[in-house]
Amino acid sequence: MHSHDVIVVGAGLAGMRAAIAAHEAGVDVALVTKVHPVRSHSGAAQGGINAALGNATDDSTDNHTFDTVKGSDYLGDQDAIEILCGDAPGEIIQLEHWGAVFSRHETTGKIAQRPFGGAGFPRTCYAADLTGLVILHTLYTVCVKYDIPCYEEYFVTELIKDDHGGCAGVVAYDMVHGTVEAIGAKAVVLATGGAGRVYAPSTNSHSSTGDGMSLALHAGVPLKDMEFMQFHPTTLNPSGVLVTEGARGEGGILLNKDGERFMTKYAPNKLELASRDVVSRAEATEIMEGRGIDGSVLLDLRHLGRDKIMERLPQIRELAMAFAGVDPIDAPIPIRPGAHYHMGGVHVDSWGAAPHMPGLFAAGECACVSVHGANRLGGNSLLEAVVFGARTGSAAAGFAQDFNGRGIQARPEHGYAYEAKLRALLERADGPRQHVLRDELANTMQEKVGVFRTGEELEEAKVILDRLRDQFKGVVVDDKGKTFNQSLIHVIETGYLLDLADTMVCGAIAREESRGAHSRTDFTERDDENWMKHTLAYQEDDEIRLEYSEVTFTKFEPQVRSY
Amino acid sequence: MPQTTFDVFRYQPDTSDEAYRQKYELEHGTDLTLLDAILRLQNEQDGTLAVRYSCRSAICGSCACRADGKTVLACMTQVEDLKEQNGGQPVRVDPIGNFKPIKDLVVDMEPFWNKFKSVKPYLIPDGDAPERERIVSKEAMQKIYNESKCVLCAACYSECNSLAADPEFVGPAAFAWGFRFAGDERDGQRSQRAKLYSGEHGIWDCTRCMYCNERCPKGVDPRDAIEKLGGIAFQEGIALRDAGGRHAKAFLISLRTGGKLNETLLVPLTQPIKSQFDIPFALKMISKGKAPSPIPHKVKKLDEVKKIIKSVKETI
Repeated sequence: MHSHDVIVVGAGLAGMRAAIAAHEAGVDVALVTKVHPVRSHSGAAQGGINAALGNATDDSTDNHTFDTVKGSDYLGDQDAIEILCGDAPGEIIQLEHWGAVFSRHETTGKIAQRPFGGAGFPRTCYAADLTGLVILHTLYTVCVKYDIPCYEEYFVTELIKDDHGGCAGVVAYDMVHGTVEAIGAKAVVLATGGAGRVYAPSTNSHSSTGDGMSLALHAGVPLKDMEFMQFHPTTLNPSGVLVTEGARGEGGILLNKDGERFMTKYAPNKLELASRDVVSRAEATEIMEGRGIDGSVLLDLRHLGRDKIMERLPQIRELAMAFAGVDPIDAPIPIRPGAHYHMGGVHVDSWGAAPHMPGLFAAGECACVSVHGANRLGGNSLLEAVVFGARTGSAAAGFAQDFNGRGIQARPEHGYAYEAKLRALLERADGPRQHVLRDELANTMQEKVGVFRTGEELEEAKVILDRLRDQFKGVVVDDKGKTFNQSLIHVIETGYLLDLADTMVCGAIAREESRGAHSRTDFTERDDENWMKHTLAYQEDDEIRLEYSEVTFTKFEPQVRSY
Repeated sequence: MPQTTFDVFRYQPDTSDEAYRQKYELEHGTDLTLLDAILRLQNEQDGTLAVRYSCRSAICGSCACRADGKTVLACMTQVEDLKEQNGGQPVRVDPIGNFKPIKDLVVDMEPFWNKFKSVKPYLIPDGDAPERERIVSKEAMQKIYNESKCVLCAACYSECNSLAADPEFVGPAAFAWGFRFAGDERDGQRSQRAKLYSGEHGIWDCTRCMYCNERCPKGVDPRDAIEKLGGIAFQEGIALRDAGGRHAKAFLISLRTGGKLNETLLVPLTQPIKSQFDIPFALKMISKGKAPSPIPHKVKKLDEVKKIIKSVKETI
């Protein structure tokens, strides 16, 4: 049986940054990931990463903190947001020192910064519109340099608990060979990204199935603020492929079918660069009220000109041409809001530690610290992944170093037990097919738990969800083989998505207010008196139980939020 | 509704050691990517069909495969475009080339990753890092922009003719990454890298077939990167240690002196010692009238050729 001081599950930005930090702290750390690290969804992030470097104009971490607090609709924990914004410049400079190919300021040669939504200053560092890819690659190259071991195409299926309720490792399924292994650890970091595939369409990769969140939920760890799913204002129709906020940061405008720049009505000051929840609601309203074109509105970049589009937004041009048949140099791009980012996640503190399970940590989109509250600002997700990836990696290493020789309690038997479960699943000859269940789930979430929500539709979603979860108990795996059995992986992932959807719908039904990305047409106002609190969702006896916890305030009192 | 036949490479090691082909029929709308087609087959017709995929937006690099013999990213390839190109034939789908299959379209990428790692794909700067970011001009950063777009999908590796002849050849993607660092002014290992990449199975073993440039779905142009690494090898004074480098130099010398290729000069300049043993053979060729004239040709406007060489040198 393999074992390491620290295991990091997931090898995107947060996972690799955590592994690097743990390695630098001197412990034996390994990555375990269901896709090769460079395939991780972090690479699809386009527009940028925020830090108050002040390279474009004067800026300060206080400004960044305030913008983030306001963007979160005051649900973000301000102590954590201060860490996020305070550590940001140092992390960006660290990435630059590791070789990240950031775009450069025309005259000074410093890292260039562009305006982004909900930000008072041009604060978003970028590498053309490939920022996620460049940072993902940078971190991977550091992992190669440090020779950090990586279990590639290993799908983690369970967290192993020790006698004291702590986390003692993981059970993982080797996808290439079809075998199950227990891997022991003193500390486990979950960094598996988001669960965007709960929705269709979604900007997220097919692999974004919320695995880490589910692992935690099944181990009795609560998930926080799961009702808050961000809808990105600019996604292609019908594929859901992302068009970066950088397109609006560089000056792109939104038009309805009458050619009206409709954001003047919804956010007269910030216009297209209001925060994402505001812009997505504006677009959804335009489309619902009949001012869209085939379910879309238009993102117009033509006035930026060929040169700027080719230099700053080359990938957007490529994607618009490949997936929408439109060259943005010549024509506006039809876009609409699409599920994009989960503000919610594994409930952890500002060191990434899960208070409900010693030895368990989480970072990145998979975690909820919470720095994004009810709505994340563009450019803050890559930032969260590296800042809290680094903090969590070093905290997990510290935990492993203070382990007092209790010994790693994972046993090969943990693997055997799971293998028996898989065998039983594989032997089932007939039953509902996973893709049918998954499609119905994703469509239901899109229709009933979308940009706008009502109590009635949420209840309807819950009924459908309960039925789907029931049907899932008899699900059949098409492929019975050992080698690269994707059918089996898809079944397990679908189970994860169904459980996570349950936490989202239950949280959304309970939260009778509108805040950030959770917008209820039957409770249209923010209700600070009753709902200035985090939702904690536990899964007990197959049902979701909700608790609530306090929001931390430091400097900023809640204000009316307008852009 | 269009209907398409897919003729798919199958390899199911759990049931048989033999690969085979299988045809699938699919009815679909006009807007369907090859990846979505494969996923529909997997969901609706055959759950054993295996393919690596993830982002479906041409950035993760997972889903490279061959469609009608050409390597593509399945997610950014339209089925209708393939049919238009092949005249409505069944669409042939195969795993990427130069790899061993694990199952169906999934191949063992380990040699690819090992070669990637072999080029030291990480920044090795000289001295301590400054407190802030390093200052780099926009133009200097732009020099390695193309290579930094590489998504490691291995389309180039799949198409590489040098690899087909020599499986140990390091390959186009790894060398694109090699240039991404050797050409980065923040890196301190320019000379060491040139040496590392010039070794056996290195840059000079590229056959210049240009397929990597042609089939790269991201416009990385790996062959150009290999060429730029060759340039660095010359600048660092190590290119002439390799026959490939000397061969390139011989071309330059013969162009500079005569304005065109002097084949008689080419062999001794490329292989100065080995060619001594070929003298009897060369004499025999001359006696049979099979060798080019030993007196070099000279073009009329040699000055023009020299000007071109000079301007090329200035742009490097």
